[in-house]
Amino acid sequence: MDLENLSREDVVQHSERWERVVRRLDARQMPPAKRKSRPTEGEYQSAINSLVATLDTAAAANLKPGRTETIRRLNRTEYQNAVRDLLALDIDATALLPADSASHGFDNVTVGTLSPTLLDRYISAAEKISRLAVGGVERAPGGDTIRIKPDITQEEQVEGLPFGTRGGALIPYNFPQNGEYEIQVRLTRDRNDEVEGLHESHELVVLLDKEQVQSFTVKPPRTGEGHQYVDAHLKFRLQAQAGPHQLGVTFLKNPSSVLETKRQPYLAHFNFHRHPRLSPAVYQVSITGPFEAKGPGNTPSREKIFTAQPKSPADEETCAKKIISNLLRHAWRRPITEEDAARLMAVYREERKEGAFDDGIQVASSAILVSREFLFRAEQEPDGLASGTPYKVSDVDLASRLSFFLWSSIPDEELLGLAERGELSKPDVLAKQTRRMLADERAQSLVSNFAGQWLHLRNLDSITPDGRLFPDFDDNLRQAMRQETEMLFSEILRGDKSILELLKTDHTWLNERLAKHYGVPHIYGTQFRRVALQPDEERGGLLRQASLLTVTSYATRTSPVIRGKWILENLIGTPPPPPLPNVPALDNGTVSESLPIRERLAAHRDKPACSGCHDFIDPPGFALENFDAIGRWRALEEGKPVDASGGLPDGSVFTGVSGLEVGLLKRPEIFVTTLTEKLLTFALGRGIEPNDGPALRQIVRNAKADNYRFSAIILGIVNSTPMRMRQTL
Amino acid sequence: MSTFTTRTAMPRRTFLRGVGATLALPLLDAMIPAMAAPAKGAAPVRRLAYLFMPMGADMPRWTPPGSGKLDELSFILSSLEPVKEHVSVITNLEVKNAYPGTHATSNAAFLSCARAKHTESNDYFLGTTVDQMAAQQIGRETQLPSLELAMDMMQTVGQCDNGYACVYQNNLSWSSPTTPLPAEAHPRLVFETLFGEGGSKADRQAALRKRASLLDFVKDDITRLNRQLGPMDREKVSHYLESVREVERRIQKAQAGVADNPLPDLDRPVGAPAAYADHARLMFDLQVLAFQGDITRISTFQLARETSNRTYPETGVSDPHHPLSHHGNDPEKIARMAKINRYHVSLFTQFLQKLRATPDGDGTLLDHTLLLYGSGMGNPNVHDHINLPILVAGGTVHGLKGGRHIRFEQPAPLANLHLTLLDKAGVRIEHFADSTGKVDGLFEPLSI
Repeated sequence: MDLENLSREDVVQHSERWERVVRRLDARQMPPAKRKSRPTEGEYQSAINSLVATLDTAAAANLKPGRTETIRRLNRTEYQNAVRDLLALDIDATALLPADSASHGFDNVTVGTLSPTLLDRYISAAEKISRLAVGGVERAPGGDTIRIKPDITQEEQVEGLPFGTRGGALIPYNFPQNGEYEIQVRLTRDRNDEVEGLHESHELVVLLDKEQVQSFTVKPPRTGEGHQYVDAHLKFRLQAQAGPHQLGVTFLKNPSSVLETKRQPYLAHFNFHRHPRLSPAVYQVSITGPFEAKGPGNTPSREKIFTAQPKSPADEETCAKKIISNLLRHAWRRPITEEDAARLMAVYREERKEGAFDDGIQVASSAILVSREFLFRAEQEPDGLASGTPYKVSDVDLASRLSFFLWSSIPDEELLGLAERGELSKPDVLAKQTRRMLADERAQSLVSNFAGQWLHLRNLDSITPDGRLFPDFDDNLRQAMRQETEMLFSEILRGDKSILELLKTDHTWLNERLAKHYGVPHIYGTQFRRVALQPDEERGGLLRQASLLTVTSYATRTSPVIRGKWILENLIGTPPPPPLPNVPALDNGTVSESLPIRERLAAHRDKPACSGCHDFIDPPGFALENFDAIGRWRALEEGKPVDASGGLPDGSVFTGVSGLEVGLLKRPEIFVTTLTEKLLTFALGRGIEPNDGPALRQIVRNAKADNYRFSAIILGIVNSTPMRMRQTL
Repeated sequence: MSTFTTRTAMPRRTFLRGVGATLALPLLDAMIPAMAAPAKGAAPVRRLAYLFMPMGADMPRWTPPGSGKLDELSFILSSLEPVKEHVSVITNLEVKNAYPGTHATSNAAFLSCARAKHTESNDYFLGTTVDQMAAQQIGRETQLPSLELAMDMMQTVGQCDNGYACVYQNNLSWSSPTTPLPAEAHPRLVFETLFGEGGSKADRQAALRKRASLLDFVKDDITRLNRQLGPMDREKVSHYLESVREVERRIQKAQAGVADNPLPDLDRPVGAPAAYADHARLMFDLQVLAFQGDITRISTFQLARETSNRTYPETGVSDPHHPLSHHGNDPEKIARMAKINRYHVSLFTQFLQKLRATPDGDGTLLDHTLLLYGSGMGNPNVHDHINLPILVAGGTVHGLKGGRHIRFEQPAPLANLHLTLLDKAGVRIEHFADSTGKVDGLFEPLSI
């Protein structure tokens, strides 16, 4: 390719193609590293600079902000958060709504559809949520059954429950009304129907908001008696006030439960055969009630909803209108007209004819929760613009863009108020609001929702390593792995640190379970804490974390291919194309399964059809071979020293994870651009296109001056053309 | 939401009105005979019910003497006397793919007749089970394609038996070779799956009316949106409106259902009864109700799990079942095990009686339901999978003729029987697992 004789017109005319070229040149993937003659670093720089200058100048003169779909449904996470913020009610949307499918790596992109089943579920959800929020009178008691995951080891204290207890669960529960509730506990049985680990007496205690409300003794059955009834007595009634509470069900730790064994005991205890429970465990907790209900009480939800209380029947209309208008404005994220309120008042009045004032409000709330302006985000488009014309999104739409980006939820009063007054788009106001929102508790959604998807942490729950090869794996470890990564991301977000620290840190976050997994001594208890690391220690940045190393492995072994692809996709931003349709699988009988994975992959890279991509994909993954399929460090594999020599698509070669980190940090803007691109995808709810290149580069350039602090990236995105503008179709 | 728990339902409200007890028993005994007369003239509904008994049986005490007409019943089958004319005993069926003999494969192969992949990890692989074959065809007509029930409150994971993953032992039903369907043992959760909140006819009608009016609001709301959009987005909106109309149809169907349905007032059971017999009867009652309300036409029910150490004090035997099944040919132990086998069959008998007492179409639920009862193991002492204890019942409208003992001279695949029952239920497939043909004798007039 002749870059020297390239005309400006060529570049501008085919900007989409040249944006792709810039990306490949940036990563030094073009020309391929195999080529004998490659450009010098200086030649690369000057080619990129000249291309970029042309592209950016052209883009500035002709803005192409892109176009997010007009109608987008809230996804399940956004729905859950919106209900929390609208009605002060914590719900578990996963129990109410189906999962959303992801595209471009995120589940807020393909959200245009509304199937009959989904609509049906929205209606059911709205009825349940509004009933719970208003605390209406029920025909008869209801209930919930909460089951604890079967692969949780319950031998140690659960975070949030008192010291000296072990196992069980701390269950956040919303009691619908003041009244009496029956609590019933069942214990985990092994495959033979016997309560597993019941060798001596144990004390089971139930706590409501940290206060002990009941205790039971669980005893092994007498000789000749079965286990059927050993947990039949674990039920009682308690008086509870309506609203959110924490119900704890746990055992007192028996002092004698020290394991005596000749072998190193496993850390996991949940399977009778592989690693039996040492003491009994909680299987499920059923909560039924209220019996003798004593009214809806004074809950956060009712406080939020009932902004007015009628003092006489004559007051009701005025109060209802005030309540409904307030809910509607927040639910619809915009100023409310008389006509809007009138539609919901009609719903209220119809119910009020038959029921009480509260019933009317409850049904109106249901209607709000199924209304399209709550369920869908539809951005207003100015009239009369020609096709492809860029325009600024309104302040009110910007408020939603901001809150769904940073909180995965609806705007709060302050944000909405500013938008309604037309002040939000003022640069200083916007910056101040962005910083306020980042500091808010709700920004935690960037960790759980954004990072969870970007880093594939969400997949961790569906990963179960082979029990024979990894007998120490249990859900406790799985959750600890997830938490380490979330805490690192959270630290960067909350401490406003450089995002490069995601790749390399001098400390990490551990609890006892994860520390044991890593072989880090002297860390005790279930609580996570910051742990400083020695320079030569094996832990630190993302690439050394068991969570990511596990989600990129198979159940039985590591996969340099999956790991390499993960790195290209999520850290370098040049995802490999999908495999060609007619390429045979690796293990089609021609490659012996007994060979080490490196040699098997080598046999495969010899095939010309495969090597084109696998020459890029496999080497970064090889550099992580010192970590096994659940992220433990290994110097040997099958008795042979691990070969962790790897490389990057830019042609650099190195050994091990340190080399990989140095390689990635050599030109940090590659990683920064990739993370920015992921954030922008998440913020806009659409795939990033080549035309977004200039905006991306500007964000990265500006953030560099601020040492790539997290807030600099976020502010850059908030101020970017694709975020502030949209173009007509 | 916490990461360590799975909330299995977010249900609300209902319970025996005015009753503070935690047992909702007897749930239905009093209600079933009092039901309204069913609508006549509709095409007969075909149903399938599969009942699994763990750990084989004492075959000498199971097998009735002779063959042909079922005259004298054996010790274990004695409770079937009042319903004998509806039941056939099939002797000498085998399930080869359950070998090498284990508990895990006995359960897994009972309805799949497939060989379980030997793994304890998530890469398990079995085969689509016969109930799911049926569900994929005739299950489409009902609210639930199928219903999976069990008696054990557990969901063990990892390895359960000789290196086999627990899913093989926990799940009878598989909707694909890699998709086990968990069975529910909690009566309340089963109830809610079937009937939602339940309630009286008026309650259910009122609930549906509320849904309908919410839906009207949605319809109006979406129609308004249409006015503000360009052509492409308008197309999207017209899809939304199609969804609205579909949900509308569903609600109308449900409203019509409540009006015509013979179901009694329904009260949600609160918890599982502590006693096995009460719990089992409740689960059977729920199946009767599910069939009666035509909420599903296919059910599977695991009466206990393989290797269960449950004791059955009702039988006068205090030994747990699994150790007793490894009787080492000790006559005393065998006799005690046979009592447990007989007890399980007696629960099946009660189920048949309830089905027979419930009018349906031109006859009873029993006439319109094909039932298979049995185990994937023959002699539990050696974990074999030949000469299985198998009963077939009901299904008069399918042409099934009861009251006989069909004895195969040579061992025949259990899959042949599965194929036969599928065929009679209107599910046409050529082969099932290792089937070699059909069990024609079941439907021929008795010629002795």
